Amino acid sequence: MGAKSLALSFHIKQECNVSRARAGLMKLPHYEVKTPVFMPVGTQGTMKGLLPDQLESLDCEIILGNTYHLGNRPGTDVLTKAGGLHNFMGWNRALLTDSGGFQMVSLLKLAEITEEGVKFKSPYDDSEIMLTPEKSIEIQNCIGADIIMQLDDVVQTTFQDYDRIKEATERTSRWLDRCLAAHQRPTEQSIFPIVQGLLNKELREQSAKEHMTKDVNGFAIGGLSGGEAKDDFWPMVSLSTGILDKHKPRYLMGVGLAIDLVVCVALGVDMFDCVFPTRTARFGCALVANGQLNLKQKIFETDLDPLDKNCSCSTCKNYTRAYLHSIVTVETVACHLISVHNIAYQMNLMRNMRENIENGTFPQFVQKFVREYYVDCDYPTWVVEALGSVGINI
Amino acid sequence: MRFAIKQVSCGGERIGTLTGFLKSPSTVIETPTAALLTQGGSVPHLTAEVLSKVFSTPQLLWVPVSNSIQLEPGMRAQGQGVAKFCGLPDHLVCVTSHNMSEPTPSGHFELDKVPLWTKNGKKMVNAERYMDLMEVYKPEIILAIADGRTSLNEGYKRILKSLDRSCNMLDTCVYRYKASKKLKESALIGVVVATGMPKKNNESIKHVLAHKDTLTGVALAGITDAYEESDRLAAQKIGDICKTVGDALPKDLLRIVEGCWNPAIIVTAIEHGWDIFDGSYPAKLSNAGHVLTLNFDPDRLSYEPCILDLNDEKYKEDFTPVLEGCECLTCKKHTRAYIRHLLNTREMLSSVLLSIHNLHHFDQLFRHARQHIAANTFQKYKKHITKQYEAYKLPHSANGVTDVNGVTGVNGVTAVNGIGMKETDYVKKRLRVSDDEIPTSQVVNSSL
Repeated sequence: MGAKSLALSFHIKQECNVSRARAGLMKLPHYEVKTPVFMPVGTQGTMKGLLPDQLESLDCEIILGNTYHLGNRPGTDVLTKAGGLHNFMGWNRALLTDSGGFQMVSLLKLAEITEEGVKFKSPYDDSEIMLTPEKSIEIQNCIGADIIMQLDDVVQTTFQDYDRIKEATERTSRWLDRCLAAHQRPTEQSIFPIVQGLLNKELREQSAKEHMTKDVNGFAIGGLSGGEAKDDFWPMVSLSTGILDKHKPRYLMGVGLAIDLVVCVALGVDMFDCVFPTRTARFGCALVANGQLNLKQKIFETDLDPLDKNCSCSTCKNYTRAYLHSIVTVETVACHLISVHNIAYQMNLMRNMRENIENGTFPQFVQKFVREYYVDCDYPTWVVEALGSVGINI
Repeated sequence: MRFAIKQVSCGGERIGTLTGFLKSPSTVIETPTAALLTQGGSVPHLTAEVLSKVFSTPQLLWVPVSNSIQLEPGMRAQGQGVAKFCGLPDHLVCVTSHNMSEPTPSGHFELDKVPLWTKNGKKMVNAERYMDLMEVYKPEIILAIADGRTSLNEGYKRILKSLDRSCNMLDTCVYRYKASKKLKESALIGVVVATGMPKKNNESIKHVLAHKDTLTGVALAGITDAYEESDRLAAQKIGDICKTVGDALPKDLLRIVEGCWNPAIIVTAIEHGWDIFDGSYPAKLSNAGHVLTLNFDPDRLSYEPCILDLNDEKYKEDFTPVLEGCECLTCKKHTRAYIRHLLNTREMLSSVLLSIHNLHHFDQLFRHARQHIAANTFQKYKKHITKQYEAYKLPHSANGVTDVNGVTGVNGVTAVNGIGMKETDYVKKRLRVSDDEIPTSQVVNSSL
C-alpha cells in the first residue's frame, strides 16, 4: 500500500456464493467505478458522435482512449498544454488508455519488435518510430488516464510458434519492469500489467504468477479475443483469474459480446472493453436480448416498435425501428441513435449483473440470460462448460 | 395556424407570431425566424436528445420532401405525420418540395411534374402526388409545389415554363387543399417564381394572389438554381427583389424566403418585411467545419472575423471556446482545439458540436433582429451585421476562395456548394468515416 493506493482502491462489496463473480467499487482519481464494468472505446478522444453529457446520462463511468491514435493526433504537446485528455475532451469521469502496442501490430504491417521496443513506419510521413515501454508510459503520463497499460509484446492469438510465444510472454514481463520504472505519476495513474501467454497454459500461468510479484493495483488479461476458438478462450480466462490476486481488479481486454461478458463475469473478471457496440451501430446493427437487429433489412420498413420494448434509452423512448430503417447508414443521426442504444444495452447488462451479484441471485440471472439469448435453447458447448466450471448449470 | 403581425417598423421590418398550433396550443413562434433544416426528418447530426439541449421549446422544422420521401412507408404505417415519425413530435413542420440549397442536375422537367432528387435517384412528382404526400406528412405549413429552381440569369423560355408549371401546380394544390379534411389544420403557402424577369415575376405574384383567401402566406423562390449563385452584388440585388415582391404583397400574408442566404442578405430581407428563412445556411457552415461568430452588439466594435474555419491548423492549441460568452453547449464545454482535432481525425462529434453552435448562434441572429425591430433600432443592427459579413467576405473573395453565396467557378464548370468545398467532399463528409476504421471482418470481439 502507500502512495499507489491513492491512484486506485478496490473494494469488493459482494461475492457470488456459487461462481467467481464479484461486485465491487473501484475508486479512481476521477470517478468511483462500479464493477463489473463495461468500458466503451472512445479511440480518438471522442465516443463516436456522442457528447460527454450523453455518456454520463448513459451511466458510463469509465471509457477508453487509444494511446497510439492520441499520441499521433492531437499529439502529446497539445494534450500536455490542454492539461490531459480529460480536459481536452471535456470528460470528468474515469479514463483508461491502452499502451499503443496493439495498434502497431494490428494496423501496421511493417512493425518490427525487438527487445528495445516496437519499431514501425509512421503512417503519416514514412519516418521510423520506436515505441519503447518508456515511450508508451511517457505518452500515457501525458494523456493522464486513471488506469494505464504496460506495453506488451503482442503476438496474434492464433499464432502457433512456441518459441515466439515464449519470447513474447517473457519480454512482456521484462517490459513491465521498464514501464513501472518509467512511470512518473504513480499517485494519479495505475499501471496494469498484461497477462500474456496466448493459449499456452504454462506460459500464461508463468506470466500471471510473475505479474503477481509486482506492486501494482490491478491486472489485465491480454492476448485473447483475437479470433481463437471459444473452447480455447475461456480456459485461459479462467486460468488467469484463478491465479490473480482476488483483491485487485481484473480487466479482460477486447471482450464485449453479451454472452462473453456474462460468462467472463462468472469467471471472475471485473472490467471489459470493446469497440463492437459502437462499431456495429455504424453498420446499422442494434443489440437486443437475443442478438442483433440489422436495421437495413426491409422487414423493419413499417415496424413501429422501438428497438427494444424493455429499454429506457432516449432512442427507444423517441424512435421506431421503421424510422431508423429509413435513415440508417445515410444520416449520421442514425449512427448516434443506435450507438446510444447499444451502449445503453451494455450498461444495462452490467448493471443487471452487479445487482444480481449483490442480491445473491447471479446464478439464476445467468440461467435466465442464456435462455433469452439462445431462443432455441441450443447452448454452445463452451458456454455450458465454462459456466459449469464455476458451478452454474444451464 | 395563425399568423399575426405585432409590430411594423418604419423600414418595413416587422415582428409577427405564429400561433394556434393544434398539437401545441401554447406555442408561439416569433418572426422573423429561421426554420431548422432537416435531412431525412432529422436536424443533421443531432438526435432529438441533443436537439433538446440546443432548443428547449418547440421549433419550426424545414422538411424538404426530396430528402425525406424515403420515410413515406413508415409514416403511412404510423399515420401521425412526419414530426412524430422522426422522433420530434413537439416540433412544428414546414414542408417544401426541394432543399433549395443543394445543387441538383438541371432540367428533367415534364409537363406537369418536377423532379425530386432523392437519395435513391430522380422521382417525378406532380401536384396531385405532392398533396397526397402532404396528407401523410401532416405539416403545419405546406409550401405549394412549384418549379422554382431558376437563376436570375435564366433564359426567357425556361422562365416561361417555370411560371406556367408553377401556376398550374398551385391551382391543383389549392384545389386539393380545400377539398382535404386531413389538411384542415395545415396552412398553405403559394410560391412566387420567375424573379429574374420583372414582368413574369409580376404575373407570378398576380397568380398567387388570386388564391389569397386560401393562402396563409407567400414563399419566394426563383432566385437561384443552387448552381450558379449570386456574386458580391447579391445582397443588394436580392434585397431589391425582396423589396419589389414584398411591396406587391398584402401585409397580412406570411412571407417565406427559400435558399441558403448569408447574414447580410438575411438582414436585408428582414428589412423588407420577410418573416421566415430556411435553415440551410448554418447547416452548410457546419458541414464545412466553419463556425459563425457574429457580434450582435452594434455598440461594440468587432475585430474577429464573423466566420472561422476550424479546420485551420492555427486552432490546434487554441483552448478557448468557439465564441467567448456564447451560451451554447459547445462553447460552454468545448474548445476550438478540440473541435479542430475532431475535424482533423474526421470524427462524427465534430459535426455535432459545430451544428450545436451554429444553430444556436443563427437563432441568436434572429432573436437580436426581433429585439432591434421592437426597439426601432433595426437599421443600426442591419448595418452592424452587414459590415461584419462584408469584412469577412472581401479578403476571401479576392483570394478566389468562395463563401456560401459566392461561387468562384473555374471556367464556370466546377460546382461548389459554397464555403470553398467541392460537392463531392461535402457528400462524402455527410457520413464521416473516422480514420481509425478497419474492415468489418475484423470487428467482432476485437479491441482496437
